[in-house]
Amino acid sequence: MSHSITISPTMLRVEALRQLRNPYTLAFTLGMPVAMYLLFGASMGYGSLSAGNGNVAFYVMVSMAAYGAAVAMSSITSLAATEAKQGWGRQLAMTPLRTAGYAATKLINAVSFAALAVAAVFAAGLATGAEATDAWRWFACAGIMLGLGLMFGLYGLGVGLFFNSDTAAALASISMTFFAFFGNVFMPLDGAMLAIAHFTPMYGFVALSRWPLTEGTLTTGQTDPLWMLLLNVAAWLLVFAALVAVGVKRSRSRR
Amino acid sequence: MTTATDTRSPAATARMRGTTDASDTVIALDGLRRHYGLGDRAVKAVDGVDLSIRRGEVVALLGPNGAGKTTTLDMLLGLTDPSSGTVTVLGQKAAQAAASGRIAAVLQTGGLLSDLTVRETIEVIASLHGRDALARVPDVLARTDLDALARRRISKCSGGEQQRVKFALALVADPDILVLDEPTAGMDVTARRHFWDVMRADADAGRTIVFATHYLEEAEQFARRTVVMHRGRVVADAPTAQLRAGLGARIVSATLPMAGSSHEAADALVARLAATDGISDVRVDADRLSLRATDSDAAASTLLASGAHDLEIAAPTLETAFTALTED
Repeated sequence: MSHSITISPTMLRVEALRQLRNPYTLAFTLGMPVAMYLLFGASMGYGSLSAGNGNVAFYVMVSMAAYGAAVAMSSITSLAATEAKQGWGRQLAMTPLRTAGYAATKLINAVSFAALAVAAVFAAGLATGAEATDAWRWFACAGIMLGLGLMFGLYGLGVGLFFNSDTAAALASISMTFFAFFGNVFMPLDGAMLAIAHFTPMYGFVALSRWPLTEGTLTTGQTDPLWMLLLNVAAWLLVFAALVAVGVKRSRSRR
Repeated sequence: MTTATDTRSPAATARMRGTTDASDTVIALDGLRRHYGLGDRAVKAVDGVDLSIRRGEVVALLGPNGAGKTTTLDMLLGLTDPSSGTVTVLGQKAAQAAASGRIAAVLQTGGLLSDLTVRETIEVIASLHGRDALARVPDVLARTDLDALARRRISKCSGGEQQRVKFALALVADPDILVLDEPTAGMDVTARRHFWDVMRADADAGRTIVFATHYLEEAEQFARRTVVMHRGRVVADAPTAQLRAGLGARIVSATLPMAGSSHEAADALVARLAATDGISDVRVDADRLSLRATDSDAAASTLLASGAHDLEIAAPTLETAFTALTED
């Protein structure tokens, strides 16, 4: 018992319920991406124009779904870190649940919720004319954003560990919106803004999520090489991992 | 209240058998120290505690705020590592015993998630302890009087209700040892009485109980043994009845008769009282006399018979008790 990872189905169920009845998470991870897609993708005249291996509506849909997935990951993990630091962590410390089991539970929770966010935007896309040349491109985009989205789970964890609980939740969600704006997620950037965008944390993530559609081509005509996007993701993964390491140290020293 | 007998678990039955072995030590604290900070600014929260508790004992850990009670209990539960010294719980390391649910606690600082319901909170913790614990949830809800509140969000529960939820979390693992840090804080009188009734049933069923309190009264009524802590050290460790007898001296004060030239009469009275067995600390300030007496009735009667007036008798406060214990 002490060596295997303890995961409780009851805890998974309750954690899922908590997310579903939290108006804040519902609004930011499910409501906002769908609304933004409908606003900037489906309802626009350019939605049906062709873009790479699909249309513009599909491009906007994937961008918003990626944003939703990233926000779901970061908000759940930042919450997980602050809860563990507070009294609830002391309650859990007196059970067979170890850190690995807690992390696994929260990770399953975060990935499921991110998948739900992606499914919601994709359903909206399916209903409003988002199109790709092949069906597999839908699944490829979803798979990439859920896999790479884990990096924002790491980011949320770091923020949650590093800052006190009141600051952490707000900071995690505000910074994600900020990253999305400057990461070429919400609207196509150009010129100096685009040059800067290449170095921001969400740029590589969202460009790779769109890869099955665009294969690197931007709406403004330029093309991003694959290695550059992978480098962006790898570099920010390292930064986030370092943030987690520092956060762990800091939260331990404050205890 | 549900009686402990009809819901007795196999673990409880095992505990009953265990009580027959009087030398069965379940908790051993050895040279326990916990310091915070470094150098001159180091705070010695716990400064050398040796304590051994046997199966089935009910022990009160008494002390003012900052005496080191909470830190000691944290180390007992494996939540804080000692700076030096060892903690052995049921032959295991503290954290192992806590993880297996053999020692459980109601923590002062233990937090609950405000957006869970009472039932969800208890079910989550129970599920982590395994199927048996999960099956115990309805019984635990009944014992802690939380049936009616099961669907309520923690955020909507009063401080006393949340305290009961924490109590339920401790009970659900069916621990051999129950640790309670200021367990009745925030409870009203009825809840407090009910709480101690449940605890008494548990103690009778053979559960070992260690609780921290700064209410002398709770230690007196419930613990058979009281350990007094002060500034990180154990300053007294004795059967509660014995300790109370030692601290039992009351403060008697009265205004001396000063009419006319009876100065000598007053001096004689003071001298006589000071020479009486069981009377100490006789002090006269202006015409007001105060003394400490184990038999306060006799002292009062002597004073009144001599014409003293405005008599006051005060029970020893915890403060005076600590002063008495730490002076020498």
